[in-house]
Amino acid sequence: MAGAAGQFGGTNKAGGRVGTRDPLWMRWSLTIVAVGFLALMLVLPLVIVFATAFSKGWAGFAAAIAESESWSAIKLTLLAAAVSVPLNIVFGVAAAWAISKFEFRGKDLLITVIDLPFSVSPIIAGMLFVLLFGAQGWLGPWLAARDIKIIFAVPGIVLATVFVTVPFVARELIPLMQSQGREEEEAALSLGASGWQAFFRVTIPNIKWGLIYGVILCNARALGEFGAVSVVSGHIQGVTNTMPLQIEILYNEYKFVPAFAMASLLVLMALLTLVVKHGIEWRAARSHAQIVDETVGAAATA
Amino acid sequence: MARVKRHRVLPGFGLTCGYTLTYLGLIVLIPLATLFLKTSSLTWSQFWTTVTSERALFAYKLTIGASFLAALVNSVFGLIVAWALVRYRFPGRAILDALVDLPFALPTAVAGISLCALYAPGGWLGGILQKAGVQAAYAPLGVVIAMVFVSLPFVVRTVQPVLADLDQEVEEASASLGARRWQTLRRVVFPSVLPSLLTGLALAFGRSLGEFGSIVFISGNMPGRTEIASLLILTRLEEFDYAGATAIAVVMLGLSFGMIFVINVLQSWSRRGAV
Amino acid sequence: MSIEIQGVTKVFGDFKALDRIDLTVPSGELVALLGPSGSGKTTLLRVIAGLESSDEGSILFDGEDATTRHVRERGVGFVFQHYALFRHMSVFENVAFGLRVRPRKLRPSREEIRERVMKLLKLVQLEHLGKRYPGQLSGGQRQRVALARALAVEPKVLLLDEPFGALDARVRQELRSWLRRLHDEIHVTSVFVTHDQEEALEVADRVVVMSGGRIEQIGTPEEVFHHPANEFVMHFLGNVNVFHGRVEGGKAVFGDVAVEHAETATTARASDAEPLDDEAKPAKVFIRPHEWDIAVYRNGRPAMEAVVIHVNAAGPVVKVSLLSESGEPVHAELPLEHYRSLELRTGQRVYLSPRKVKVFFD
Repeated sequence: MAGAAGQFGGTNKAGGRVGTRDPLWMRWSLTIVAVGFLALMLVLPLVIVFATAFSKGWAGFAAAIAESESWSAIKLTLLAAAVSVPLNIVFGVAAAWAISKFEFRGKDLLITVIDLPFSVSPIIAGMLFVLLFGAQGWLGPWLAARDIKIIFAVPGIVLATVFVTVPFVARELIPLMQSQGREEEEAALSLGASGWQAFFRVTIPNIKWGLIYGVILCNARALGEFGAVSVVSGHIQGVTNTMPLQIEILYNEYKFVPAFAMASLLVLMALLTLVVKHGIEWRAARSHAQIVDETVGAAATA
Repeated sequence: MARVKRHRVLPGFGLTCGYTLTYLGLIVLIPLATLFLKTSSLTWSQFWTTVTSERALFAYKLTIGASFLAALVNSVFGLIVAWALVRYRFPGRAILDALVDLPFALPTAVAGISLCALYAPGGWLGGILQKAGVQAAYAPLGVVIAMVFVSLPFVVRTVQPVLADLDQEVEEASASLGARRWQTLRRVVFPSVLPSLLTGLALAFGRSLGEFGSIVFISGNMPGRTEIASLLILTRLEEFDYAGATAIAVVMLGLSFGMIFVINVLQSWSRRGAV
Repeated sequence: MSIEIQGVTKVFGDFKALDRIDLTVPSGELVALLGPSGSGKTTLLRVIAGLESSDEGSILFDGEDATTRHVRERGVGFVFQHYALFRHMSVFENVAFGLRVRPRKLRPSREEIRERVMKLLKLVQLEHLGKRYPGQLSGGQRQRVALARALAVEPKVLLLDEPFGALDARVRQELRSWLRRLHDEIHVTSVFVTHDQEEALEVADRVVVMSGGRIEQIGTPEEVFHHPANEFVMHFLGNVNVFHGRVEGGKAVFGDVAVEHAETATTARASDAEPLDDEAKPAKVFIRPHEWDIAVYRNGRPAMEAVVIHVNAAGPVVKVSLLSESGEPVHAELPLEHYRSLELRTGQRVYLSPRKVKVFFD
């Protein structure tokens, strides 16, 4: 960082704006504190994951992933995400449509309920399903009589994952669609489009980036959910272990290289999520800047 | 609930609203209702004894105290990080800015094992701390560290847009009136970010309250020393003491729902400030 | 306090916002910086305030070099275009701010601050609104709070950036005359920026017309309006008809019309100012819309034939659009009574003779 001193010392986003410039010592020390804090809290944990995963080279890494229990954990994790993400996309779009395009009483309450799973601790979330479907749960005896297993089985894991990822798509879309209003859809209808046509040709193109954003966040959480899944899984290796649960088992058995090898896959997923997220934000900022430019230009020529 | 004011032009209200309510009912509301039904099967004194047992009281105290400390740490550093990201230009700024969201995207179990490995005695940081006579992993400090990690983005991401939107003319006005830079920061800049800072603090606190995955590894889970509320619930469940688990869960849920209310109040306050 | 600006240049990237500006503002005067957007007028104001540092040149306050003085030590009052009020402080607190942040030794006592703030609020006619917050005020009221706040530190120079830019037309008109009266009362050297020529001409003692980072003309409102130094000033201060013609034998000639002209100026070369009498020289002829006489019949005066294509008679001055014989659009303005006596109709043929022309050589 010392090499950048010249560039650093002179620049403030404000450029020549004397009245908003911090003194040099303050710029230096705050930057060092900020960078240091983020490096310590965020970068170092990432570094240790890869350092440990590859501490025995590529071979050690590959062997860890190729183990059959690891492999079945990966498959189960992908299955849980493959079910919960589409379900929550449909839900998110439907909820956002109802909330943003219509006025009705209880709307604020509905939005609060959609956000509820965020406020429920993952352990409690998992516990809800144990209370409902477990052997001593409300539906337990009924399910047992029909030989249906939900808790300590795959359906329970999927259910718990769906629960914790309910809000992601909806909460991205609701504010976005509210800010866009309903004029464009009304215009489409007035031009003779059907409701579905208006939805697919007008609404979807308008919300696609917000939708993608919600989906990747939803996906990241679905792949990484630990607490809720842990409660309903029963930890049966090779059957009901997802990747995070498998990581826990490996770590507790002091198998650090395989544990961090699995973890590194999830880190890659998380980093990819961040890349996509910032790609979308960058896009949005750029198109916004363009609009502002054009408005200013128009005003100037007028 | 779903009574529409006349005059609706767009189709699909019945379908989407009906689907939304059904889905929420099945996935969220019925399971939550089960919890409260289960609690009501306890008598009041049973409930009271469970939730005020010494072990439970300690778990609440640790959870709340550590969450608050973590939120406080993140308020101080989050404010500095947000200021540096918005106002200064330095190499690597864009990458660090993107990385702030990492705790949102990184599975908590991964965070848990890497923090544990870092801070364990003999680990990269744990070794240094040990020499200084501080134990981080398997101690309450470890709980705080894990909570700082998972709630790190909240303060930064609530304060950052407010700082970016701050009208720099206001700072110039302050300078032209003779204020020194620190006077401008304290009297003009800080009051305008205070509502968002408190909102971020409340969000971070709320997030830490329910955190589980990143804490279980580093905390060591010793009852009466490093056992957080979530873990106590899990322990009770594994002992098939569903009533006990439920009672503690109700207390924690009540706390979380209380935080939703506080955050709503804070958010409407920051919006009101934005004239 | 007088302000002297000597050879000030300011560059943003590869955009020259100010190009070697020289300007003197005498003590106690009210000066307008007038120009289109991008002319550098706001940058000049910010450089005077010390909010922006200049790349070259110097700023003198009362003959003393203030170029490197920090904005907080310059003793200027700056009123921002969007007021920049502190929105978490009441009106009273906003006005008191500049006094409260003074070092303890120079800070007035509580009562003194109170007294001075109340006096200022009275001056700007807001004494009853001290407890309100900026968000609860109208645009005009905010503007006056911003002014009171700037005056509270007893600045030796008052700088205002588009002071009426964000207000609606009627409030604007009121505040303009109010600012003029206020200046006559407190007599502090003031500079304000505007893109509205009417505003500059009405309020200022002197007008500085700027474009492209340079000063085009400095003069009293009357001077710049009636004796514009060049084409740019002519165009910028009001509508004008332009004809490509020539000067021949001391007369301005355009189309079939040849008229005496009082004043000649050049846009490019000063040495060519007065051409020889009988040598024809190409020139641009400028005629303001209100300088036309419109006649229905030829009356012997040099005149240009034109057809009326549109008449806007809403208001005391009637605006008439015409098309000359050679196909050029011509704009004319005449008093309502005169228009009525002429009984102009669309499609009618009329004769236009200029009362006054202004010529600039190419």
